[in-house]
Amino acid sequence: MFDKILFATTASPICKDAADVAFDLAKKYDSQLTVFHVFALPTHGFSQFAEDLKTGQKVEHDDEWAKRVTEEMRSTFADNLAEAENYEVEAVVGAPHREILRAARAKDIDLIVMGSHTRQEDTAATRFRSVVGNTMQKVAKAARCPVLIVSRPCQTCWWYFSNIVFGTDFSKASHSAFKFALNTARQIGCKLYLFHACDIGATDPGKVRTQADIEEKVKEARKKMEELYLPELEGFDNYEIDIWEGTPYVEILKYARDKQADLVVMAHHTREIDPEKAVLGSTVEQVVLRSACPVASVNRPDKVAAS
Amino acid sequence: MNTVTLKRDGSILSDEKTVETDPLVCLSYQVDLNEDYILRSFFRMLEKHSLLAKLNVFFPSYMEQYLACPDDNCKTENIDHLELRKTVEMIGFPGEPRLEIYNSFQGIRGDESCEIRSLQFDSLLDMPVKLGKLKHMVFGDKVDIFEFDTVFTLFEFIDGIAWELSFHVAPTECALRR
Repeated sequence: MFDKILFATTASPICKDAADVAFDLAKKYDSQLTVFHVFALPTHGFSQFAEDLKTGQKVEHDDEWAKRVTEEMRSTFADNLAEAENYEVEAVVGAPHREILRAARAKDIDLIVMGSHTRQEDTAATRFRSVVGNTMQKVAKAARCPVLIVSRPCQTCWWYFSNIVFGTDFSKASHSAFKFALNTARQIGCKLYLFHACDIGATDPGKVRTQADIEEKVKEARKKMEELYLPELEGFDNYEIDIWEGTPYVEILKYARDKQADLVVMAHHTREIDPEKAVLGSTVEQVVLRSACPVASVNRPDKVAAS
Repeated sequence: MNTVTLKRDGSILSDEKTVETDPLVCLSYQVDLNEDYILRSFFRMLEKHSLLAKLNVFFPSYMEQYLACPDDNCKTENIDHLELRKTVEMIGFPGEPRLEIYNSFQGIRGDESCEIRSLQFDSLLDMPVKLGKLKHMVFGDKVDIFEFDTVFTLFEFIDGIAWELSFHVAPTECALRR
């Protein structure tokens, strides 16, 4: 299913949960795993000096430094590496999201696995820190392949998935996410929940809707869901369709909890919110932060078909 | 500063009178908890004052869970009590230097604080809730943490608990289906 997996990491214990999932996936699918870390940011252009992303110190970067960082990575993930076979460990200098995307393209990666944070977070501090995913946001939005974001220990992991929840906003990107969700459910043999949350308030702000209006909206969404996705199921009958009304990220989280989801699959929301203006960006980011299970963000059709 | 006292049965006392109809005027008041205050009292308060439950989008779903829980003995031995704390943190890196002020709702065991999101919701309801101190953290250095007495408003109290609970999801069961 995934021939090549890239595990993008800060090489710190905060990535432990994501590391477990990445190594587990690679083991299951006999994938080639790249453990990838961007450790410093060049000060300018082709400068020999780079800013260490952990300490902020300016250091002259050379192969020795990269080698040291690689050794640190090996020691951080020693437990995982001890059981892994087909892997490489790579540490580079550059802008983290750009280097991750560049490596994913160059290596023709099928799946990127990463954590949601780049530093240890107190949940209360999360709302003040756009670092909640600066790298994750950028990678998830621009990656050609699916991005699996892991923010909590995964109890079931890919081995024992029973329930996959696919949240849709009917966008083009959601269609790619649907294909990924369907392929995964088919491959693993688990149940697929197709879910849409009608954000009644957002469609006509200020308008008071009657119960009949809301029911009509829900009915419309169900029809749309059936028209868009059912013809593509091609014999896959282990699914359920649900439409709820409310704030999308809240409803998806409630739904995922209700169905004991092992994986949530979504497109990075197409209604763009400027990350500089929104403390926590789009629906997918809100879900990632609070979800008990991993969240796969899929925006492009490229690697979905291959999966 | 005006003060409200929150009682175990979920009622709000202001000037020694029970607030019956409009709790919104009390949101900016300093909050004081009765000794025997537990997390269930917090939900009882939201039950009595449904307007307060509108302060966070996750409250309706937590109210459902609260109503489905047993009436007593919803406790855990993993923590001694729950505590709302305030943190002022100076951060120098990464990014531009900045100052952040936030409230966090955590479990306390001995002198250690711990996250509660991995604990089952129904194991927290009867745990005592206390108001903690303000921590001043300098440039993320755990060594340079100073603690001060502080006060919380009713809004901070409700919002701080709501924010933490919004991250609270019980671990997924591994239900093998096929």
